[in-house]
Amino acid sequence: MGSTENLENMLQELRRGLIMLAVLSQLGKQQYGYALLKLLADKGLAVDQGTLYPLLRRLEGQGLLQSAWNVEGGRPRRYYVISSEGKKLLPQLKSEWDGMVAVMSRLLRS
Amino acid sequence: MTLVELYVAEVGKRLPLRSRRDIEAELRSTLEDMLEDRGRKAGKPVDDDMVKDLLKEYGPPDKVAATYHPTQYLIGPRLYPFFLFVLRIVLSVLTVVLLVGLGIQIAAQPLQGIELAKTIGSGLAGILGAALQAFGNIALVFAILERVLPASEFKFDERKKEWDPATLIKRSEPAEVKLWEPIAAIVFTAAAMLVINGYPQLVGLWFLQNGGWHSIPVLTAAFFRWLPYLNLLWALQIALNLVLLRQGRWQAATKWSSIALDLASIAIGLAVLSGPAIVSLSPEALQATGLAAVGNAASLNDVLAQAVRTAIAVVIIVKGVQIVKDVVKLIFRRG
Repeated sequence: MGSTENLENMLQELRRGLIMLAVLSQLGKQQYGYALLKLLADKGLAVDQGTLYPLLRRLEGQGLLQSAWNVEGGRPRRYYVISSEGKKLLPQLKSEWDGMVAVMSRLLRS
Repeated sequence: MTLVELYVAEVGKRLPLRSRRDIEAELRSTLEDMLEDRGRKAGKPVDDDMVKDLLKEYGPPDKVAATYHPTQYLIGPRLYPFFLFVLRIVLSVLTVVLLVGLGIQIAAQPLQGIELAKTIGSGLAGILGAALQAFGNIALVFAILERVLPASEFKFDERKKEWDPATLIKRSEPAEVKLWEPIAAIVFTAAAMLVINGYPQLVGLWFLQNGGWHSIPVLTAAFFRWLPYLNLLWALQIALNLVLLRQGRWQAATKWSSIALDLASIAIGLAVLSGPAIVSLSPEALQATGLAAVGNAASLNDVLAQAVRTAIAVVIIVKGVQIVKDVVKLIFRRG
């Protein structure tokens, strides 16, 4: 396995949990998949559509998101929004994330 | 049908039926959104090249469909430990039962040479076939369970919550040799060697007559032809037990030596089974004791010969199973 492939695999591992938190944090207001993809990209987190859509379905399956079909401009779109269970979980995840960032910053500086 | 529709249909073909329409609709609306976005940025209507570029970027239909599937398992991690657990029990019981059946079959028919080898070969092939069939059936049942059991049920790994570190100590104990085991093995083997080599007439049918004990020797000339090999085997077993007594625990070398000795005893056992009877009760001698009439004496002789053959067959099977277990342990569990 080459070093580039190693790096890609490690980055993929790193991003896996991070994208889940990013998605939950941005769905306080309902969004359809492509709009969320653009929103995340605009804020600096480029996510592959092949990662985002299955993740949205998985989070919905876990009860952390809700979804509904709406027709807007003649096109049906599936809108996602964070569920009450997701809202309960999000502050804890954020707090954990802050802790991890602080720890990792200290570790990487030393 | 447009290229986008064809693409969506290709992806849909590879999706589970229950979520197919939903994912197809979402994929279609996403692709249309993306095309609209690209057309707006390019400042021109969407054309075929734009569609082809987008679909190429989105990826081959099979890869897109694969992103919606969790890793595909015939039997997933949730059920796999239980599958192994059931498989081990079923295969062990099946193998032992069939081996015992084969042993009884061999013992019941006084076969020799090539006929004996044929019976053993076809019996073992039958056991292998039955084991493969059982494996297939169990795998099929678990593959179905994997697909029909809801994720919330059948949490086999809940047992792990009760895991006790003390079990690690218990698990390491089998390597320890209990002091009495090699001592008993040495004493009994040496005693057997002494009696069979020095006083073979003691091995016989003992009976009380006229206020005194008498015996009818049972070991035949065929037995004494095997005696040098048995003596060598027993001497090596005594030597192995002396080493174990000194080391206090099983090690790879002693385990492999024990396996080699078990294999040697199986070889001798099979050779004995394929040859003439190693025990015999002379009907005349039996009749002279007054213990049995002529007809009964002959039957008693047959029963004795049969019982010895069965006992040898059972010992061969037990040792065979033990060898397989020991080899698997040595190779896969490192001791």
